[in-house]
Amino acid sequence: MTNLNAVDPAAAAEEAHLQNADVMIAKSTIIFRRFMRNKTAVAGLLIFLALTVFSFVGGYLTPWDKETIDPFNIGMPPSADHFLGTSQAGIDLYAMTVEGTRISILIGLIVGLVSVLIAAVYGCTMAYFGGKVDKVMLFVLEALIMMPALLVVAVATSGGGEGLKKSLPSWLLLIIVLLVFSWMGTARLIRSLSMSLMQRDYVKAAQYMGVPPRRIVWRHLVPNIGSLLVLDVTRGVTGAILAEVAFSFIGIGIKVPDVSLGVLIGGATSQVQTFPWMFWVPLTVMFLLTGSLAMMNDGLRDAFDPSSSSIGKARKNSTKKKSA
Amino acid sequence: MLRYLAKRGITYLLMIFLTTSAGYFLAVTSLKPALLEQERIPRPTPEQVANSMRLKGLDPGLSPWERYVDWLTGIVTRWDWGRSPNGAFINAEFGDRVWISTRLFLASIVLTLVIGVALGVYSAARQYKFQDRVITSYSYLAYIVPAPIAYFLVQLGAININETVGERIFFVTGISTPGMEPGWAQFIDMLAHYAVPTIAITLVGWGSYQIAQRQYLLDNVNADFVRTARAKGLTRNQAITRHALRVSFIPVAQSIAFTIPAIFAGGFFAEKIFAWPGVGSWSIDAISLQDVNAATATLAYGSVIFALGAILADFATTLVDPRVRVQ
Repeated sequence: MTNLNAVDPAAAAEEAHLQNADVMIAKSTIIFRRFMRNKTAVAGLLIFLALTVFSFVGGYLTPWDKETIDPFNIGMPPSADHFLGTSQAGIDLYAMTVEGTRISILIGLIVGLVSVLIAAVYGCTMAYFGGKVDKVMLFVLEALIMMPALLVVAVATSGGGEGLKKSLPSWLLLIIVLLVFSWMGTARLIRSLSMSLMQRDYVKAAQYMGVPPRRIVWRHLVPNIGSLLVLDVTRGVTGAILAEVAFSFIGIGIKVPDVSLGVLIGGATSQVQTFPWMFWVPLTVMFLLTGSLAMMNDGLRDAFDPSSSSIGKARKNSTKKKSA
Repeated sequence: MLRYLAKRGITYLLMIFLTTSAGYFLAVTSLKPALLEQERIPRPTPEQVANSMRLKGLDPGLSPWERYVDWLTGIVTRWDWGRSPNGAFINAEFGDRVWISTRLFLASIVLTLVIGVALGVYSAARQYKFQDRVITSYSYLAYIVPAPIAYFLVQLGAININETVGERIFFVTGISTPGMEPGWAQFIDMLAHYAVPTIAITLVGWGSYQIAQRQYLLDNVNADFVRTARAKGLTRNQAITRHALRVSFIPVAQSIAFTIPAIFAGGFFAEKIFAWPGVGSWSIDAISLQDVNAATATLAYGSVIFALGAILADFATTLVDPRVRVQ
């Protein structure tokens, strides 16, 4: 007599394969496909990648660098020799734009990624422990929101020239200060979302089973707020680039001889009538950078939103339903 | 209600005290007014510098803790926020500037809120139609421009208008023309100075409110309670204005608390670019002049503004949200 309940291993494997490949599509694949369907978002991603590549290899296309002065071409408009013209000091604008774009992207990426990481750890810890820990941590968080970041940036980057300012380049100092002041909003949001997750049965079960807190946070809380974290990375990168440009524009933040898009734009405002290219070129690059990030952010939000009907259709009759 | 507000108030007072103290320590350890003093011509001797600093209560010889205690005693006992390295009294300086800042921002904050929320409702009611696309695209555009650059572009635009007309319609810098006759001429002059900064701040600011209001309203438009209202015989617009609008305004009201400091931070840029001598530009100047007391005073002001915004937001929420019952 054959065992009727015996499972043929080959059939099981086939079934599992079918499930993975055809019937059930992995969540990440759905998100990826949705993102790729959104033309605007893909265009944004391509522009951003192009700018990143440009900022790393663009420097090899010209013999000039950001420090060499060309005494025969001072304040010249764009020409074959200097692709984007020169400043009134005779420095090649193209070389400076490449360098500035790299610094701005670097600041944006580091601050965007690390601040979301800090926010996730801080927000989840608050939600996990609750009670007194939550109260104290919320107090610290709100006190940090209260501090006008701009003043602290100004003090930190333009103080009396003490040890810290001498040993660190100004872009690194700006990254540190921006990091200190950029994670609070996200942390608050993550706290409130995680608090509701903490009430779920699977988290309670894990707690009763004696799973250590760190594992619960990483295994149950972080994956569930993953989409929010991804969105906040792109938003954080945009925010950091904007903050860098704004601070450097009014002369705090990045200091010469370091170059960034904000330094270039801010330095050119007084001669916008006489040397228009000095102002409009870095401004255009900044628009491309922040604009492409905004386009990506929009596409990501639609890709992560299960009820979105704004772009494409994965199935017929997708109904729009959102919980209030 | 009163008890709740009092409790919040005490928490915020404690926070203001902590942030201001932290700011003072940061400023006192990194700002060195004595170094600037030595750049004077003729160069004063170190003894002269130390002496003049000591007279103003800025003795560089004391430790940060001793100076903090001195400074705090002055505030607590006499409400005296100290003096600048050039001898000016912080209290008097601050009093002059805070009104200039308030005049500049009050109109813009109200306009930003009203326009932003109104456009948010308008575009949510016409989701994915032409008007919605235009308005929401504009808001995203405003979001990717750093505030100072937007102000500068508005300023350039105003200069271009002036040049095209051949007459000075807008003043792009300053708060008033000196030596104006009081009366009608002075009023027109004031408006001409007001227009450009107010327009610039409002243009940049309303985008975030529009996006938030549109999103929250859309989240609520199909909720059960709106459907129930329609089933009672209300038209779609009536149901939205009477039921959905109110609920969707709650998170927007909460966000006001966090945008008021943002507008204040934008204020640094606006005051710097339009050359209004308000608190914002004063604080930037104070830091470049290594002025510990002025920098700390502006930091305290920023914290107070935030606390006021947060309390206002709590208050607004209790007004519009029927679910919040505060004892």
